[in-house]
Amino acid sequence: MPSKANVVTTDSNKKQYIVVKIGSEQYGIDISYIDNIVRMQKITRVPKAQPYFNGCINLRGDVVPVMSIRKRMGLKADEFTNNSRIIILKMEEHGNLGVIVDMVREVVVLGPEDIDSYNPETRDEKSQFIKGIGKNNGQLISLLEVNSIIEEKENV
Amino acid sequence: MDVSQYLEIFIDETSEHIQNLSDCIMSLEQEPDNKDTINEIFRAAHSLKGMAGTMGFKRMQHLTHDMENVFQEVRSDKIKVTGPMIDILFQCLDAIEGYLDTIKNTSDEGTEDNEAIINNLNDILNGGDGTGSAAPAAAEPEAEKAEETAASEESAEGFTLKFLDDDLSDQDKDALKEKEESGQNVYGLTVYIDNNCLLKSARAFLVFKAMEELGEIIYYNPASQDIEDEKFEFDFSFFVATDHELDELISAAKTVSEIEEAVGKKITLADFEKEEPVKEEKPAVKETKPAPAAKPAPAAKKAGKPAATNKPVTSRTIRIDIEKLDTLMNQVSELIIAKNSIVSISSANDGAGVQSQSFTEQIEYLERITTSLHESVMKARMVPIESVVNKFPRMIRDLSKTLDKPMELVMTGEDTELDRTVVDQIGDPLQHLLRNSADHGLENAALRMERGKPETGHIFLNAYQEGNNVIIEVGDDGNGIDTQSVKEKAIERGIVSAEQAETLTKKEIIDFLFMPSFSMAKKISDISGRGVGLDVVKSNIEALGGDVEVKTTLGEGSKFIVRLPLTLAIIQALMVEIENEKYAIALGSIQNIEDIPVEDVKYVQAKEVITLRGSVIPLIRLDEILDVEREDPEAEKNKTSLTVVVVRKGDNYAGLVIDRLIGQQEIVIKSLGNYINNNKIISGATILGDGEVALILDANTLI
Repeated sequence: MPSKANVVTTDSNKKQYIVVKIGSEQYGIDISYIDNIVRMQKITRVPKAQPYFNGCINLRGDVVPVMSIRKRMGLKADEFTNNSRIIILKMEEHGNLGVIVDMVREVVVLGPEDIDSYNPETRDEKSQFIKGIGKNNGQLISLLEVNSIIEEKENV
Repeated sequence: MDVSQYLEIFIDETSEHIQNLSDCIMSLEQEPDNKDTINEIFRAAHSLKGMAGTMGFKRMQHLTHDMENVFQEVRSDKIKVTGPMIDILFQCLDAIEGYLDTIKNTSDEGTEDNEAIINNLNDILNGGDGTGSAAPAAAEPEAEKAEETAASEESAEGFTLKFLDDDLSDQDKDALKEKEESGQNVYGLTVYIDNNCLLKSARAFLVFKAMEELGEIIYYNPASQDIEDEKFEFDFSFFVATDHELDELISAAKTVSEIEEAVGKKITLADFEKEEPVKEEKPAVKETKPAPAAKPAPAAKKAGKPAATNKPVTSRTIRIDIEKLDTLMNQVSELIIAKNSIVSISSANDGAGVQSQSFTEQIEYLERITTSLHESVMKARMVPIESVVNKFPRMIRDLSKTLDKPMELVMTGEDTELDRTVVDQIGDPLQHLLRNSADHGLENAALRMERGKPETGHIFLNAYQEGNNVIIEVGDDGNGIDTQSVKEKAIERGIVSAEQAETLTKKEIIDFLFMPSFSMAKKISDISGRGVGLDVVKSNIEALGGDVEVKTTLGEGSKFIVRLPLTLAIIQALMVEIENEKYAIALGSIQNIEDIPVEDVKYVQAKEVITLRGSVIPLIRLDEILDVEREDPEAEKNKTSLTVVVVRKGDNYAGLVIDRLIGQQEIVIKSLGNYINNNKIISGATILGDGEVALILDANTLI
């Protein structure tokens, strides 16, 4: 049954994004990177890891490292609530990685015409995390560049 | 026939035969008259030829055929094994290996004819020494020529009537006599089964069945029971009493598939009454080449028999794709996690009083089963390091010639077993260490004499198991590492300043050798000196979870000690707790566990140490190393005793201070992935029975 939604998603120019809340802002993550979304669970601290890694969790028998996207972006530390979720990203060559978000809101479909380019004034590492600004029903969604979040710049 | 499905088996078996040949030729070089070795070589060369022929690799077949011919002559004492001949044989092996490599890559043998080697081989056959000199007349050059033509046309040795040599029992003679008297013709037949036939007795049975339709079989050689049990090589003989003609019998026998040849002759009792003359008779046989060379063949076959009887023992294995074993291993890992969670549920229920005794017993039973299941699967993945190290004697022999230094390699513990994945990757590092010993380690003969050492350099490779580790020591009795010149080199390269260099320990200096592009060789050679050696050795071994240690005494030799983990997936570990974090320490590295009163802690250079049975052991406060946040730092300071886990790495010890012991547990090692980098203190993680993740401490990095 070719529903309207299917027609939209198969359009090669349009992509689905999961909209999450981190702090007061909304961020979008390309759905093709997402393996899974799980509730908060006990995170085992890993000593000597990079500060923005909270530790690792047991994801159905696999050990998956979990990153605090807030710490990564230099925001204040996470406060875990009932809405907090761990989004499991699957990265081909590196394996799975979890990122903590405050809340998962919805899935949106954005085409190129819905996305404005993002030109920050400073070109530091953190500005590389955003690849564009999506507009959906008057709301702004910062689209995360997943690869630069997980990729480590030397001596960060 | 489409043979591509057999290609993999062919490759595996050919490598085995090549290795076997290489070993045998090595030992032949030591004792050129050892008949067993020569027979063994002959068999391996023969199998190689047969396999190459079946697979349609003509060039490879040609080469192995000529090689086989040489051994044929050696075996019948017509030519002697000489040094140059051994060299050519090794060249020959290399060429066969070359074919095999090409086959591996392209499924085709390529176009290299290796004519030079073939010429040399033929030269040996003709009585020369294989160096291309004109052949002086050998014992029986004619016979050899004849044999060669016969053999190449028939693609195997001449088919002979083997029964002619048989000693018939009186009973058999009576039967023969009786049939003769009844006016029937008695024919003797020898049937040759194809060398690649897998069900020899089945083929023999079909032949007998065909014969019995035509006549009566009155004699078997080997005995019919032995034929049924496949206790024969690739031929068997029998007598048939029949009214039919010999031709009919032969064609009936040849209708059975995988029968290479059937030959026969009308026989009478008289043939077996006289002793020797029978052999001299040229049998008027159909479809055989009655070449003079036919004579040595039966003797050769007989000689091959006794050693072949132990064959079935070695072939009681099947080849399994390593991936299947990996899957099995993963499933066992999951099972162990599931078992652990049942165990933790059962112990959590302890207080509730609902525990029945049989429940506990069943859990213990389950625990035993999973542990032994794990062991079995582990063992299935274990292979002896033999498969890697058995190419080294040859390498050292070649190096000895290239470097013009007499040296010998002594290996022990080749049967030490390691996980397949480790074995596959340990070859290169070991090879490198051996080359180092041969090139840098050993002095030249003159210097050795001067130093009062035996002229022949001694290189050793010892492998043995130690706890959860396998130790492989590679070393030599050569010069040892000159730490002074290493130090100078390091200063020259600007790695350290002259002042810094003075304070370095011997170990720190030796560690320079493991740095990338740090070479001590004065000149670059084919063998070593490019400085891409020891650092690669070290990183390869560390990638396998092992480490390298060096012991050296200047003037007396050096020893590289490679320590490798026995398994990569599941280990026995001690679970400990620090504040409320749980950590696992591999049981293999733990020496003992002690309760130390706080007042026994002493200070050396402002570092905490304890003395334990006479040795001074540094203390490592895990809570500090691991940045554990203390909820109540005061309570820590007021402790009266410390729980110390003493861990060992080689000859070094350290005491890890922990809060509580949880107990021993079998844990499944999971990787943390490559996102988190943490100075290697944490070697991985594991999932506990309650689903919680615990980290595995690598005690080796703490020492």
